Amino acid sequence: MRQGKLLLLSWFLGCIFVTAQNKQILYDFTEIPQALMINPGMSTDFQWYAGIPVVSGISFQAGSSGLTVNDLFADDGVDFNVKVRERAIYGMNTRDELSGTYQVELLNGGFRGRNPDNFFSFGIYNEGDAIGYWFKDYAILAFEGNADQLGRKFDLGHLKTRGEMLNVFHFGINKRIDGALTLGGRAKIYSSAFNFSSTKNKGYFVTNEGQNNLLANTIDADLELRSSGLNEIEDALDNDSSLLPGLLTRRLFFGGDLGLGIDLGFTYKLNKQTVITGSLLDLGFIYSSTDVKNYTIEGNATVEGIEVILPDAFSNSNDDFWQNLVDEVDALVPHGTNDKSYIYFRPTKLYGSIRYNWGEPSNGNMDCDCNYMVSKRRDNTKYANGVGGQLYVINRPRGPQAALTAFYLRRFGRALALKTTYTIDKFSWSNIGLGLNLQAGPVNIYVMADNLLAYKNLADSHYSSFQLGLNIISWGKK
Amino acid sequence: MKNKILLPAFFLLALYSCIERQNFDQYDDLEIVPTIEASILYLESPERLLNEIPGQNFYSQDFNFDGFSVDAFSDRVLDGFIFYEIENTTSKEMEATVEFLDEGGNTIDTQYFHIDPAPTSLLQLQVAYGTGRSIEIIKNTSSIQVSVLNLGDNNSVSNLPDPKIIFRSSGKFRLRLK
Repeated sequence: MRQGKLLLLSWFLGCIFVTAQNKQILYDFTEIPQALMINPGMSTDFQWYAGIPVVSGISFQAGSSGLTVNDLFADDGVDFNVKVRERAIYGMNTRDELSGTYQVELLNGGFRGRNPDNFFSFGIYNEGDAIGYWFKDYAILAFEGNADQLGRKFDLGHLKTRGEMLNVFHFGINKRIDGALTLGGRAKIYSSAFNFSSTKNKGYFVTNEGQNNLLANTIDADLELRSSGLNEIEDALDNDSSLLPGLLTRRLFFGGDLGLGIDLGFTYKLNKQTVITGSLLDLGFIYSSTDVKNYTIEGNATVEGIEVILPDAFSNSNDDFWQNLVDEVDALVPHGTNDKSYIYFRPTKLYGSIRYNWGEPSNGNMDCDCNYMVSKRRDNTKYANGVGGQLYVINRPRGPQAALTAFYLRRFGRALALKTTYTIDKFSWSNIGLGLNLQAGPVNIYVMADNLLAYKNLADSHYSSFQLGLNIISWGKK
Repeated sequence: MKNKILLPAFFLLALYSCIERQNFDQYDDLEIVPTIEASILYLESPERLLNEIPGQNFYSQDFNFDGFSVDAFSDRVLDGFIFYEIENTTSKEMEATVEFLDEGGNTIDTQYFHIDPAPTSLLQLQVAYGTGRSIEIIKNTSSIQVSVLNLGDNNSVSNLPDPKIIFRSSGKFRLRLK
């Protein structure tokens, strides 16, 4: 049971300390089938591919925008309380976040249709996603309290968090319209194991001089935490943790909350060497109705302690004034739980890029088409070099969050391709990433790592990510 | 040849990565000790009522007060203050007594106030617990008894507008959350 709780806690912390899903190295890395997952309209030349189950696509990304592990836990002799106060409590702002995702592909495959302009892909992947913004005023209230802060409004809206674990079943079509344009779409069915969100909180807590008594504490709150699927998990952990794997498996395979979504994408060649691309991912929703438990607090009240005003109070001198006060606050600021079903939207992502290619094409002799390394697609010339820029935007509880990437792609013959990226976002302005794609016969292996400069001290990194995958690819034979 | 250069470069990158020594035991040193404050009891009476109730024993009331004895507070409170403020605009000399009672109704702390008739300045008092009186008094307080004696007469009237006796109080305490 304890191990189960630790496992769940690890998941939460794991997701909270991993960061947003920008896969800038993988994006438009056309040698890699998994790049189709982030642009279904990517230009492809595979005849078919099959991902090795579970290892075809694994990605973890970690970071936090306001604070690093090293900031707090470096063995630097500075008092820990000073570090927490200066670097966390007052050092971070409400836009700082701890957020992220992981993905593990359970199944992934693709094949070209009878019409060679059509390529179909399908699969299942498991994903966990979570974000928590720095709840600054809650932290200040917890560390400092409300004393000697007359008139200061502690913003209850600082609580913004959401997270989920789900399986995604998908089927995508990639269609070459003509020599210049490729379009793609992917339909998704979401099967959620659990989710929680608390993103639309409003209100404040303030202490002022009282009208009658010395102090008046006022709360004006409109808070809600919605959750689906967590209670049965908690029960399983408390009573019989051996039930947990079965419970999660059932929910992840259509036994939990279900939802629908789509991905859209395109690739367009402006000219022979210049390409623009774009994609919109996870435009979808999930209907939460399984094991729903929502927590709410709504109302406002001002308290100045027990108030006894004579002679009126003589008439109720036997009353329990304290209990009356508690009941009054409960009535003014009711809090409770409900099991109302709800719809929530997935974090939608947008990618865009422009790339200029040059250098000797790696498949110069197109007419050869003599082995599985050579594309039949005449329009799919792969130049040795590519340079360009990418944009990434994700919809987050505090609004869109963007990243800009400059990249250089280099192909070394047909067996090796490298992509290096420089990305700026809220986590880092010195994020250099490197991806390697290796084609050993039909076996495709890719490895990617992010924010490499931070590797000299990972504990001091705001961001790091790692992706790898293993596929079997065929470009078709005569 | 290029591959022979690039692949070792990846391995070198892996070797290059490291983590400076971290001391996670520092978390044990973390102290979360907020100071909270709130009003406790407000009592007011017009002079008219003092004149209507004959004798000295004007008012006595036992107020249930669970704010101090609730576990979330009593298990964590370190020290603090209780502030009293008494405003008398009546013509009466008075004596007020505030007693803190435990669950068994036993008096565990007493505070006397002698209140001069108007015109008089605001009577203010700050009582320390934890650094003065024992914090155990606060932890064990289950109710508060307030008694007011009218040491003056039952017919005089203050020449101040809307004469009243007003008792105000608040608490300010440090809690150890961690």
